[in-house]
Amino acid sequence: MRKACYLTLSIALLAALSWAQTIPGENWTGYYMMARGRDLTGLNVVSPNFGGTVVAHLQPWAKLKRDSVNGVLDDNGFVCKPAGFLRAYGSPFDTNGFFAPGKDRMTIIYWPTDTVLFRRIYYNREHPRNLKPSWNGHSIGRWEGDTLVVDTIGFNDRTWLDGGGAPHTEDLHLTERMRQIQHNGNTYMEIVAQVDDPRTLTSPYTFSRYYKKQNYEMEDYVCNDAVDFYKEWREQERRARQAQSQPAEAK
Amino acid sequence: MKNLRIAISAVFGSMWIAASPSAIAQAAPPSPATLFSLSGVYQSIPDGTTLPGGFRNSGSPEQISITPAAREQMKSVDLKDDSWKTCRPVGNFRMMARSGTVMEFLSAGNMFFLLFEDFTHGFMRKVYFGRTHEQRSTQTSDADIPRTKLTWFGDSIGRWENDTIVIDTVDFNEDTWLNDKGVPHSEAMHTVERIRPIRGGEALEYRMTVDDPQMLATPYAYVRYFKKIDREIEDDNCVEEH
Repeated sequence: MRKACYLTLSIALLAALSWAQTIPGENWTGYYMMARGRDLTGLNVVSPNFGGTVVAHLQPWAKLKRDSVNGVLDDNGFVCKPAGFLRAYGSPFDTNGFFAPGKDRMTIIYWPTDTVLFRRIYYNREHPRNLKPSWNGHSIGRWEGDTLVVDTIGFNDRTWLDGGGAPHTEDLHLTERMRQIQHNGNTYMEIVAQVDDPRTLTSPYTFSRYYKKQNYEMEDYVCNDAVDFYKEWREQERRARQAQSQPAEAK
Repeated sequence: MKNLRIAISAVFGSMWIAASPSAIAQAAPPSPATLFSLSGVYQSIPDGTTLPGGFRNSGSPEQISITPAAREQMKSVDLKDDSWKTCRPVGNFRMMARSGTVMEFLSAGNMFFLLFEDFTHGFMRKVYFGRTHEQRSTQTSDADIPRTKLTWFGDSIGRWENDTIVIDTVDFNEDTWLNDKGVPHSEAMHTVERIRPIRGGEALEYRMTVDDPQMLATPYAYVRYFKKIDREIEDDNCVEEH
């Protein structure tokens, strides 16, 4: 009986130890929501005006394109297509992420999931050659102490840099430094990022964002569930544009 | 001597853990490490095929036996409204039965996700251990918007029975059907799923049991087998043009 107890205890202990040793960033596990207002007191938010920062770095062609975009009719998110995670860093809506650490990767499941999707950051490997462009690109990461340094390329050019419609090319290159910190008795994910795209930007820009760890469960959000709402919104937008253009045509 | 026994059992214990995921569950209380051993991508085998060991799919959502109330309600069903066709979730009961379903089992501490490659129709399921349905979160990211109780995927809680994960799910909305013919279910639908690693963790045995006294004459169960596959799930998004 005693032997069985020893064996069980030993296995439980070793399972716990091997788990802790083989899962980098295991204590990151959980759901984080973009911090706002008082939750940001004392934290250094770089480029708080996300859209303004993006616009200030756009080449003339990209600025023109952003100005001509319709924020509703041209937005992937309004037809339940992936909108990319990059613009979510500047989202006026709550954008959240669940961090699920693994032995060879960090998986981030974003919310709203069906338009931002999920993302895997692979350790100990290079970007593949002949990478097929995708909505969220290809991410590789390495640990520098308690910081996960992430390099992402391989984006398609169908998403925006910000919610205002700033375009980018497939040369988009993102580097992020992710670190869990304790601040005012709360746990945060600090993300400091640099965005580069030599064909779109005059120079790279940087920003930082903080995500506060939550103790509640991630919700479901089914984009197509809101199809009638979006239809109505898009129809209203179409009518508004039509009404705007009519007086000009009458002249 | 005691210490030596502990040391020896510890060494062999760790080898055992590495060798057999199901052995962990039997020998030690289920832990995040136990759930983690199941992480990976799985694909359901086609009906009519047999895995070594004689494992074969059985049953189908088309074989359910329904009540007169369900038959009556089906008269107003229009198959054009099938959520499969309108890029909405088809519900756990139909999705898990589909041939070739690809899903990722992603453990995350005291819970796990099931991420479906056919994301729009299967979406993403979350299974929580260590709580009851009554202890489900009521908070949302927006304090002004209460959490919807009834959802497409219901509220799933898990527990271990030896080497089997038992998932109990309630609180479904009524927007999904039980099969391709449009059999409705009520908010009282209750499912119990049993997932067991077999063949040294190379495959999962999956048993789904559904009960809904309003729509089903009797509870119904089917079994599917999922093989572990060596690839990532792709982003496969169905888009309905609005």
